[in-house]
Amino acid sequence: MPHQCTECGRTFPDGSKEMLSGCPDCGGNKFQFRPAGQSTDSSGTPSKRTPSEGTPSKDTASEPEPEPPSSQQSGGKPTTRTSPESTPTGRSDSASSADLPSRTESDAGPATPDGDVETSRDTSETADAAVDREKTTQRVHDEETEDAAQASARSDVVSRDELDRASRDVSATEEPTPDHSESPRPDVDELRNELNEQFESIRIVSPGQYELNLMELYDRQEYIISLQEDGRYVIEMPDAWGVED
Amino acid sequence: MGLLTNLRDSISRVTDGLFTDSEPKRIGIYGPPNAGKTTLANRIARDWTGDAVGPESHIPHETRRARRKENVEIERNGRKVTIDIVDTPGVTTKVDYKEFLDHDMEKDDAVRRSREATEGVAEAMHWLREDVDGVIYVLDSTTDPFTQVNTMLIGIIESQDLPALILANKTDLPDSDVQQIANAFPQHETIPLSALEGENMDEVYTKIAEYFG
Repeated sequence: MPHQCTECGRTFPDGSKEMLSGCPDCGGNKFQFRPAGQSTDSSGTPSKRTPSEGTPSKDTASEPEPEPPSSQQSGGKPTTRTSPESTPTGRSDSASSADLPSRTESDAGPATPDGDVETSRDTSETADAAVDREKTTQRVHDEETEDAAQASARSDVVSRDELDRASRDVSATEEPTPDHSESPRPDVDELRNELNEQFESIRIVSPGQYELNLMELYDRQEYIISLQEDGRYVIEMPDAWGVED
Repeated sequence: MGLLTNLRDSISRVTDGLFTDSEPKRIGIYGPPNAGKTTLANRIARDWTGDAVGPESHIPHETRRARRKENVEIERNGRKVTIDIVDTPGVTTKVDYKEFLDHDMEKDDAVRRSREATEGVAEAMHWLREDVDGVIYVLDSTTDPFTQVNTMLIGIIESQDLPALILANKTDLPDSDVQQIANAFPQHETIPLSALEGENMDEVYTKIAEYFG
């Protein structure tokens, strides 16, 4: 519940779409970001939002209200990007987006007991330390649902493709590879190659060696009038053409 | 208003009478490198204006900038056709300086030539889009016409609805196979010629007048 309405205190999970059009309860449009670890402090000085701290505590935020298997089912549905074979440990997170209304009721106040916060930190630390498969998978799932929630929240702004790609990157880390920062690399490279193929009009293989995409050259409004040694182009823009003519 | 319209109509009728067409059409000479585009452009220009368009060479990419010869007046069957000839660099998908090294060229020169040729192709493609009213597509009849470049360019020309004349050049060479060119683009008329020897140029001019007049 990292976001809280400053008017009525209603909280929203990270990336919630609901708050984008104002607080549904009071119509307020000011929210504060509250990493769940600091949720007890109602005056809410949202200091740090490092993922390592935010993610697991968000995890515990939904834990006080355990609806084990059923909520997992319902939770799994909206976040369709979550891998279907999600382990039970993924429960608390997948619930976070689906159980939003009920959760926010209970979380509305600064309700999270201190003890819970502590345990959550413990969990995250042990998960980080141990190479235990289960725990690492749990972590991956934490990240995954967070991303999915973020993604759904931004879906109005960001293109669908981009979102799909983002979610694919995460689900690719399904294997216990905790350092998922590595995983998007191949996809980005792949994408770059694909883009090069589709959009680059002149590829400089090496000085004096060029590959030309004729369709792209033809389609462009502007045209390349000079190739530089360092791989830059000088292009003549259509406006300049207009002036000349 | 009506008076103005009438006036404009009568003026345009007069100018139509004076010149065969209101403005000369820009005819781009396109094709792959070494098909004989510049040889043809020079042949046309010399035949009708006395000047040449540019130097010819057996080294590919001799023409690296589009060259224009304006107001070339071609007379056919008592009818005058005025065209601007645009000789374009050979269009290709790959330019490699190494192919110039075989022609006794230093590496630096070869690299520069390669870069200029690439710029020339970009320019030629741009002209095809912006600045050309018709196309004379020149092919070397001793080589296989089924290439990506030919297919793509002919496709673009067709999609632009530009009038296009396909010339099967180099008929003076023993390996020349005009039928192969005709088979490759059956939707277009193929005219055989040797721009170098001036063979069949009469038919070429007749077709130019017919297509671009």
